Amino acid sequence: VKQEETEQREEKLARLKARVQELRRQRDELRAKVDLQQKGQLGKAGVVSDAAQPSAQAVLEWKIKSVKAMLQVFYLTGISGKLTKQGVCFCISTAYEGTYLDSYYLDLLTKPEVRIHRHSVPTFIPLEQIAKKHLETDIRRFLSVLADHLNAYVGRRHQADQLQEHFSDQIEGTLQRNSLCNLLVFNYNLSSRSKTFPFNARLLYGDLCCSLPTEVTVSCT
Amino acid sequence: MENSIFEAYEDEIQSLEEEIKLLAEKYEDSQQESTFFSDEEILMSIKSFQREFWGESKGYESPSDLKALLETLETDLSFLMKFTGIRFTSHSKKTVEKTRNGTVRKHRLSGKCHSLSFQLEFQLLEMQNKDSVSTVITDLSIVMESGEDSDVSKFVSSTEEHRSLLTFFRSLSSYAEWYEHRRCTFLHFK
Repeated sequence: VKQEETEQREEKLARLKARVQELRRQRDELRAKVDLQQKGQLGKAGVVSDAAQPSAQAVLEWKIKSVKAMLQVFYLTGISGKLTKQGVCFCISTAYEGTYLDSYYLDLLTKPEVRIHRHSVPTFIPLEQIAKKHLETDIRRFLSVLADHLNAYVGRRHQADQLQEHFSDQIEGTLQRNSLCNLLVFNYNLSSRSKTFPFNARLLYGDLCCSLPTEVTVSCT
Repeated sequence: MENSIFEAYEDEIQSLEEEIKLLAEKYEDSQQESTFFSDEEILMSIKSFQREFWGESKGYESPSDLKALLETLETDLSFLMKFTGIRFTSHSKKTVEKTRNGTVRKHRLSGKCHSLSFQLEFQLLEMQNKDSVSTVITDLSIVMESGEDSDVSKFVSSTEEHRSLLTFFRSLSSYAEWYEHRRCTFLHFK
């Protein structure tokens, strides 16, 4: 039995060794390929070009990737989407400054009239109100107003998260906020000359389309 | 004692597999980014691909699948451009860095929003989280046709400073729409 065990171990070792060698070979091959590619791009003479005439399939696949990349750029603009059998599915992307945050989907039916089939908009956003006002008359305006609400909500939430994360040593306990993130209450400490002063701050964001507060109350507790 | 040898090999295997995956993606990205085919070349390829297919079944994609996919994508793109008023006239990207933590790409984008032209250069960092990809703009530079307008240039520098690419597009859209309205109104009075 001992003999068998030793044999098994040796077998396993040999297999692992072989695998490592194979992977090293693959890795070195790829590295060389990528290096050649980089040199080719600098336009240096004397570098053998990689491919012969590309196949028709390769050309099509290139074009498909290219169009997909263009569609992804639309994601960065805030409104993207695709056509569906019964209408169109829009994707509203949100961001705070340079950081892209959540995206929300709206599956719209267009016949007999425009209406919302499915969506991923949170319940505390007044979607029905906005739809009632704009959806049938001006889809663009509807999306724009909805995007204002969503971006503002996400902006407020992001700022609250960042505040909690970066000032955790000064904040007492946790930030209190509602789901719409338009009311923020927290206690924090400020130190001056080895004395700490406890403060309480209350931020009210009266404008739902804005990510800055409209009313701030600071008190020393 | 022997187990540690196994572990060492297994660790190296895992790290090699990851490196191979990264290198393969790097190679693919680079191929995509440095190639360009004109519309005629693409049309010719669609035709010849259909001919080739009858000869031998190469690969798993039938020509009608690829052609149909391309048509769907192009229809979606054309719809978005019409709907938003934003038409991109050129787009190029280059992978600057690719590591396990994320990919940094430099994009050059030019286009028109209604009648206003713009040119952008931005750097995008994409990081793979547990179940999502996070996207952050790490650098932004904007050139606008009507750049001499002081309001526009103030808006542009503030947007560049905060790297607010999304805000740029949203504001541009509404500014361009109103610009169109004003232009039409003025023409009406002429």
